[in-house]
Amino acid sequence: MFGEVRAVDDLSVAIPEGAIGLVGPNGAGKTTFLRLLLGLVRPTTGSAKVLGHDIAEGVPVRERIGYMPEHDCLIPDMTGVGLVTYMGRVSGLDANTAISRAHDVLQFVGVEEERYRKIAEYSTGMKQKIKLAQAMVHDPQLYIFDEPTTGLDPRGRTEMLDLVRVIARSPGRNVVLSSHLLPDVETICKYIVILDGGHQIAAGELSELLTGSADRLRIDVRGDREAFARQLQEAGIEADATPSGVHVARKPGVEAAIFQTAKALGVEVRYMGREIRSLEEFFLELVQRNEARGA
Amino acid sequence: MPLLGRRHRLRAIIVTGLRREFKRPATIVATAVGVGLVLVSSIVIVLFLGAFLPGQARDLSFFFVPASNGAILFFVTLMASVVGSALIADDLNSMALTLYLSRPITHADYLVAKAAILAPLISMIAVLPLVLTPFVAALLALFSWTIALEAIGLSLLLGLLFTAFYTSVTLLLSSLTTRKSYAAAGVFAVTFGLTIPADILSSSIGNSTLLYISPWEDYLALARAAFGVSGNELDWPWALAILLAATVVASLATYLRMKAVEVVSG
Repeated sequence: MFGEVRAVDDLSVAIPEGAIGLVGPNGAGKTTFLRLLLGLVRPTTGSAKVLGHDIAEGVPVRERIGYMPEHDCLIPDMTGVGLVTYMGRVSGLDANTAISRAHDVLQFVGVEEERYRKIAEYSTGMKQKIKLAQAMVHDPQLYIFDEPTTGLDPRGRTEMLDLVRVIARSPGRNVVLSSHLLPDVETICKYIVILDGGHQIAAGELSELLTGSADRLRIDVRGDREAFARQLQEAGIEADATPSGVHVARKPGVEAAIFQTAKALGVEVRYMGREIRSLEEFFLELVQRNEARGA
Repeated sequence: MPLLGRRHRLRAIIVTGLRREFKRPATIVATAVGVGLVLVSSIVIVLFLGAFLPGQARDLSFFFVPASNGAILFFVTLMASVVGSALIADDLNSMALTLYLSRPITHADYLVAKAAILAPLISMIAVLPLVLTPFVAALLALFSWTIALEAIGLSLLLGLLFTAFYTSVTLLLSSLTTRKSYAAAGVFAVTFGLTIPADILSSSIGNSTLLYISPWEDYLALARAAFGVSGNELDWPWALAILLAATVVASLATYLRMKAVEVVSG
């Protein structure tokens, strides 16, 4: 609770190991959720554990977390290697290990000779890499990436996502990726938590969430989609034409009726199977449903 | 990967902070000129005691003279504004506070480390010359070692109290803004904005109670009492209470201010 505002309410989720996406519109409670994970705020009611540690412990939780903030937060008069080493030492590494790890992680993120230059002289892409390196230096078990591709050009974005993907696939490493860019989340994460208005509106395996219910079919056709849907409706089949295809309610004998209708209309069925939505479609559907419920 | 404890983490912040400060010409100049001037002027007074202060007894009360050197006030203020004003304000401005507080340290650890960067630098002006002066005086056989050691102990206590006051007030001012120049101006305002009006008003209306609002006058009241100098217009216990209370309140206010800063923002 912040004053009278309940920033995150009734959030109950067990997040498995691996890469987890955290998405939601502005004001959904993502930032508060990250603060909770970092042990920087405590829930007014309930509890949370990160890697087996109660978040109220704070310091032991943060020992195991590498946080890459969204906003610019680097110390401009330090060099890249100086800052990453310094952050390693503040995390508890001894001086020699911190220096050695700083060079290793800078190599990993692709900061070469520039590591000896002052951060004030770096490009946005370079700064993002330094932010990633400082999150990695103490070899944490859990990485929290807050909008890691913000401000990057397409090439920089691809590079950053590749780095995040490598980390997410490393054994024993877990990633929480908070992003407005749903395709980024879709390509990296296996599990997703969707927040809206401080509430969790969906959580689960991404593949399961995006695959629609077994009692709906999506059909891609070449030809007049609207006429095809209308014809199915006239045949007593529940069908809707949408930009992503024709969605049909499954019932016994529906497949045969679909092919007969297609043949009669001269329409070619190119795909017929379970409904699969993009994360964006799923997200918008959930948010609209949530808004309608609120209204 | 094994991680060392809290003490090591704090030491990393302090050592790196001091190293960064001693790379800045402003810090080097403030330290060198401040320590040099205060120390040299104090030792010159010791050496030429008869000429400067005819009739001054060679007892503990002499050491009030170096302790009340106005250069201490000026250079402590200068050091606090040059170094201290940037310590938190720069981290707020660059948002580097996020980096610190997402690490395994607490808000209190961060503040202790920042205080431990500033306090040694202030104490080089507020403590070191005051401790060295009796030591040199005893070495030159101008004072007995008994008096010198007593003076060293009292100077240490006085200097540390003054250092603690300026450290806590400066960090509070630094935590209130993202611009170090504002915090620096605030340090000068606390020093001279309280001392000069307090002196003028108390003498013009003849009420010495107003002097309590000046941290320098409170410090002088304590120094007079410590070194046994007569003519104290202020009660030293009240002066001590005011300086201690201001130090504690400023520290608490800084802590609360830091807790209120949102280091993870969306």
